[in-house]
Amino acid sequence: MELYKHLPKTNCKKCGKPTCMAFSLDLLQGKVKVDDCPPLLEAKYKKQYETLKEMLGSEEGQQKELKINVDEDLCDGCGICVTVCPVNARYCPSSLSGKAPDYPPEEHQLFQVVGGKCELLKIEHCRRLEAGGRERECRVCETYCPREAVKIEYV
Amino acid sequence: MKRFTCSGCSLLCDDIIVKSDGLFVTEVIGACLKGKERFDLVSAPNRITKPMIRSNGELKQVSWDEAYEKATEIIKNSSNPLLYGFSNVTCEAQEAGMKLAQQINGFIDSNASICQGKFLNKAKNLGINLTTITEIINKGDLIILWGANPAETIPRLLNKVLFSRGKFRMTGREIKTLVIIDPIKTASFNVMGVRDLALIIEPNKDIDLIRTLKEECCSADSVPSEGVAGIDQSDLKRLLLHLTGAENGVIILGQGVIQPHPDYDLVEELLELIQMINERQVKGRISLLLMGGHFNMAGFDHVALSNYGSFGKLEFKNNQIVQTENTLISKIEKDDFDCSIIVGTDAIAHLPQSLSSKLANKPLILIDNHSTTTSHIADVIFPTSITGIENGGLAYRLDQVPIELQKIVNPPNNLPSDEKVLTKFFNSLNQGGAK
Repeated sequence: MELYKHLPKTNCKKCGKPTCMAFSLDLLQGKVKVDDCPPLLEAKYKKQYETLKEMLGSEEGQQKELKINVDEDLCDGCGICVTVCPVNARYCPSSLSGKAPDYPPEEHQLFQVVGGKCELLKIEHCRRLEAGGRERECRVCETYCPREAVKIEYV
Repeated sequence: MKRFTCSGCSLLCDDIIVKSDGLFVTEVIGACLKGKERFDLVSAPNRITKPMIRSNGELKQVSWDEAYEKATEIIKNSSNPLLYGFSNVTCEAQEAGMKLAQQINGFIDSNASICQGKFLNKAKNLGINLTTITEIINKGDLIILWGANPAETIPRLLNKVLFSRGKFRMTGREIKTLVIIDPIKTASFNVMGVRDLALIIEPNKDIDLIRTLKEECCSADSVPSEGVAGIDQSDLKRLLLHLTGAENGVIILGQGVIQPHPDYDLVEELLELIQMINERQVKGRISLLLMGGHFNMAGFDHVALSNYGSFGKLEFKNNQIVQTENTLISKIEKDDFDCSIIVGTDAIAHLPQSLSSKLANKPLILIDNHSTTTSHIADVIFPTSITGIENGGLAYRLDQVPIELQKIVNPPNNLPSDEKVLTKFFNSLNQGGAK
């Protein structure tokens, strides 16, 4: 929706999509680029063009590296991130019912509670890096942390 | 890998992986911070490993025999002893404590009496719908936190009841609605989603909310338009719809609701409300979950009920149980005791100063594993092994389900368990009587 606001909203069909709304959805999923919209390249839309480039730049994390920070001082090891992480759920099904995953951890596993604190084991299999489409927007670990200890950042 | 039960709090998580070298616990995996701290107690600097006696105002280390002799002497010279604590020990130790109380005509009570124990007492008349954690995981669809903040008190509770997926419904957080009723915005509010309901209630107005809900129980149309206790009309309607429409709802009660009030009985009114809702419910029911602090808080009531047919506090006269109106507080207030045996709790720090000073004036026998405020004024101290780590036994989880605790490492100096110390008191008194 945020992206749609900055499009020309003329439904000119020059990009090959029926509406600007359809174009914005494809833009979000990375199927098309901002440059694929011909009117945007015109001088009067210069400001919107730059805002869109900036927004997509931060959302797709181009040239920026994904970091998940767990604040050790805030974390109390409740294990909610372990349970809600979809990657954990796929590879350690027992963690779905709130049970602590096995040890040593499975190779895809992202989170594990060790010594009363949550530990990020590896980030390679995070949905924000591996999945496509809307799943790339996954933020469950950050959203549901009651102590606000998990933070997703691009640096 | 073998999994152990954690004795950090009353949730008793049974999925903890512990690495140890036989003497010390080296790594704890899966436990929350509270559980980890419990395992850290094994090598804590304030651990007591030798029995101690106070002479001329100073504690000194003595042999086990001397300590038992001194304790037996104190108990023999007393006719009205007070036994208190028993929430951080196994059910076996609780039973041994009750036997001892019967033998010496004492009054025995647990921490639960100044905590959630009142609820069970009230429930004797009204009945109570309890549920289990597994039931909530598998079937629950409405979770109400009333005066409770599990995100900070029992960290893994929310993880288990709210986020985990059940066997019979293959969804988790998505179908579970969370309602929080609390006067302040606690850490638990951070897990709320779009469908959930946050009710910031005015302090001490819970009773108004309960009474309104009781009146309006069946119809959401007659909700007062100005709202009640700081909660507006639309939120109140939503709460009513949730309460009457849930298939497997649970109200988790925290310390916030249990505080006594001179004018009304909140506990009783709440139980009546739940009863009313359940009578009108067509397809579901609402049940209760009491949040306890110490790991075996629920156990004392169960042991007392199965052995002596009475909830909580027990008073003995002539080795027979008698009906009593006394509570721990009234006992100490009236100075109606002449020595006390404190087991596994820091009574001096927990009770108000007017009571704890009275407790401190009489001889005090302490059975515990760490130096606390109570150990600074105790006359005889018996160190014991840590339950759930250095000795096993039975404990009741917060949903009143018995769980077996295992022994993981050996205690230092071969310390006995609480049960053994209490049984030894019992035996030595018996021998003395025979002579």
